[in-house]
Amino acid sequence: MTVQTGAAESTDTAAPARQRRRGRRRQVGSRASVLSALLWLGPALLLIAGVVVYPAIELVRASFSRFSVTGLRLGDAGGTNYRRVLDHPDLGTVLTNTLVWVVAVVALTVLISLAVAQLLSKDFFGRRLVRWALIVPWAASLVITAKTFVLLFDFYYGTLNTVRDHLGMAPVDYLGSDTWIMPSMILVGVFVSIPFTAYVFIAGLSAIPDEVYEAARIDGAGPWQIYRRITLPLLRPALMVASVLNIIYVFNSFPIIYTLNDRNPGFGHDTSITFMYKLAFKSAEKDVGMSAAAGVFNVLLILVVVMIYLRVTRWREETA
Amino acid sequence: MGRKTSATVAGGMLLAVTLAGCGGGTGAGDSQQTGGGGGGSSAGTSGGGGGGGKTIKLVAAEYSKDNTAKFWNQFKAAYEKKTGNKLDVQIVSWDTIDQTSSTMIQNNSAPDVLNLNAYASYAKDKLLYSSDEVLSPTAKADLLPAFVKSGTYQDKMYGMPDLSSARAFFYNKALFKKAGIMSPPKTWAEFEADAKKIQGLGNGSIGYAMPLGPEEAQAEFSIWTFNNGGNWKNGDSWTINSDQNVKTLDFLKKLATTDKVTQNNPGRTNRADAFNLFKSGKVGMIVGFSPLAGDLDKEGKVDYGVAPMPTADGSAPKTYGVTDYLMAFKKPGNQQAVKDFYDLYYSKDQINQFIKAEGFLPVTQTGLDYFKSDAKLKVYLDTLPNIQLTPTDDPAWDKVKLAVQQNIGSGVGSNGDPKKTLDSLQKTAESSS
Repeated sequence: MTVQTGAAESTDTAAPARQRRRGRRRQVGSRASVLSALLWLGPALLLIAGVVVYPAIELVRASFSRFSVTGLRLGDAGGTNYRRVLDHPDLGTVLTNTLVWVVAVVALTVLISLAVAQLLSKDFFGRRLVRWALIVPWAASLVITAKTFVLLFDFYYGTLNTVRDHLGMAPVDYLGSDTWIMPSMILVGVFVSIPFTAYVFIAGLSAIPDEVYEAARIDGAGPWQIYRRITLPLLRPALMVASVLNIIYVFNSFPIIYTLNDRNPGFGHDTSITFMYKLAFKSAEKDVGMSAAAGVFNVLLILVVVMIYLRVTRWREETA
Repeated sequence: MGRKTSATVAGGMLLAVTLAGCGGGTGAGDSQQTGGGGGGSSAGTSGGGGGGGKTIKLVAAEYSKDNTAKFWNQFKAAYEKKTGNKLDVQIVSWDTIDQTSSTMIQNNSAPDVLNLNAYASYAKDKLLYSSDEVLSPTAKADLLPAFVKSGTYQDKMYGMPDLSSARAFFYNKALFKKAGIMSPPKTWAEFEADAKKIQGLGNGSIGYAMPLGPEEAQAEFSIWTFNNGGNWKNGDSWTINSDQNVKTLDFLKKLATTDKVTQNNPGRTNRADAFNLFKSGKVGMIVGFSPLAGDLDKEGKVDYGVAPMPTADGSAPKTYGVTDYLMAFKKPGNQQAVKDFYDLYYSKDQINQFIKAEGFLPVTQTGLDYFKSDAKLKVYLDTLPNIQLTPTDDPAWDKVKLAVQQNIGSGVGSNGDPKKTLDSLQKTAESSS
């Protein structure tokens, strides 16, 4: 960015000399303490090595290994595990489910969060309370949230069916019917994603200077025009950050699907993440190696998706 | 503020992170990352010299929040006092014990004793001590023959039973009375008629609660098909799609879709949910076991009776039983300590105290005597010696069971095809053998 205010220009003449001096000193310092630099970076590097790099290496290693049901490594598997994942009869269903799940949850979350953020950036009585309340689903453990929704959705005791009963409507099996289970899961997914997304948007909204709105109003723009021509474009960086992070979170989301879908047989409503888990522990495959191969596919998949998204939205130009 | 100070600070942080890194590696929750943290943080536990002073580790399944930890802590104290060894106890919930044990074995840090519902795959992988190596002859002679058989893989016993349970037929006496049913059904025809009568009471009444969802579908199907002369295996060959089994699943599907005398969507109901329905008093009949009876007694809401299972043709009823295992992993220098563990566990006071607290059934002759006085357990104890189990002695069952759990429920859905479902399970079984 090369925007300079008048105040900065007035001190411009003195600046170069000072910068040079400071620069030289810093150079001297850095040369003398490679060791201390390493020491400072050390904890972070170690953490990254231990928490990211090592498990990643192990994952790849496991994906090329043959495992017994017990978890004992029996030897090398070459590409067998990868081939078995690709040949899995339910892979198509699982990928479709993943696509529906990610697209629906992220799109709905972004839309609803835009509205929520708009509301919460207005001043009104009790705003602080509402803002706090919004954090709750974010702070609660996903498993607990999912279990709570199971109670809402339950066929016999669920709150929703009690309400339907009072209205004289037949009960619906929200979790056990092929039609309803995905919408039910998406609802919970959206519910837990809104807080974070809304907060990103609130931050984005408050970064838009009031003068711009004022100018637009003076030029006679209506509210919808202002929103479309000013708010949305200026919110673009926030929108993109929220979308990318949400795509990754939602794609990787495990507890919601695993908990709500626990009664349904087979892989009919699994996404690629629960598919990977079931391959290792719950399905007839019970194969850690195959599951690891599915895990590698998952990482590649999300990498590709995010890269395509960033390319399409020209991330670099927008956020630089 | 000198550079020295900052270097010290940085060094300290480095040390802290290193230490934190070593301490990690529980990783029970995130099994997706195979072999996550703590790769090397094992194996060092069993170090001490011979004759006392050894440390062994037990990983035990949590049967109940109230009693399991309590029993094992008491056991730990007794074991340590008696042998001078140390016993580390880790209690793991049933939901996660499969992945916990699998992760431990991947990381080369198997416990010394593991409590699980399967053992044959571990025996096949040659990880276990056989009973000849760690079980005293008196303790082995005391075990009921059915459990010795189910714990035996390739002529050697590896799966030492810790406790057992047997299913029985539970019925709601109040609903039976309301529907004018005098006694529990003895044949499937009577059963079907009774279920219809109860369902016909209306007001949300459910004739029979049938949990064929993924949690424990193999148990529900087992007890039905055992009472139709069916089974999973006959000798060495799989018989999952046998005529008897297909007829059984046909019958269950008929109950669910034609007669409509079950709860909603039985192929997608887990056992826990079905039990809850029975506990609410809405359900006429269900297949339960002693822990369900314990819950019902505690709540005192439902007046229930327990009877033998109805059979297809009125012949003598069969019981489906389950036993879990305590298996011992071969590790250098732990044999004696593990042997001492079994000696103590199979002593009359320990094993029966555990079984009593958890509300299960004995696995030993002396245990049968010990519980004989308990009138409530009589209906189970009578059937125990003739109990019929799933083929846990076949390593392939460890996979087949999962396939059954995941798939058999789809056979009783409205579009389900029992024959096709069982055919595909048969294929899975044959290909994993």
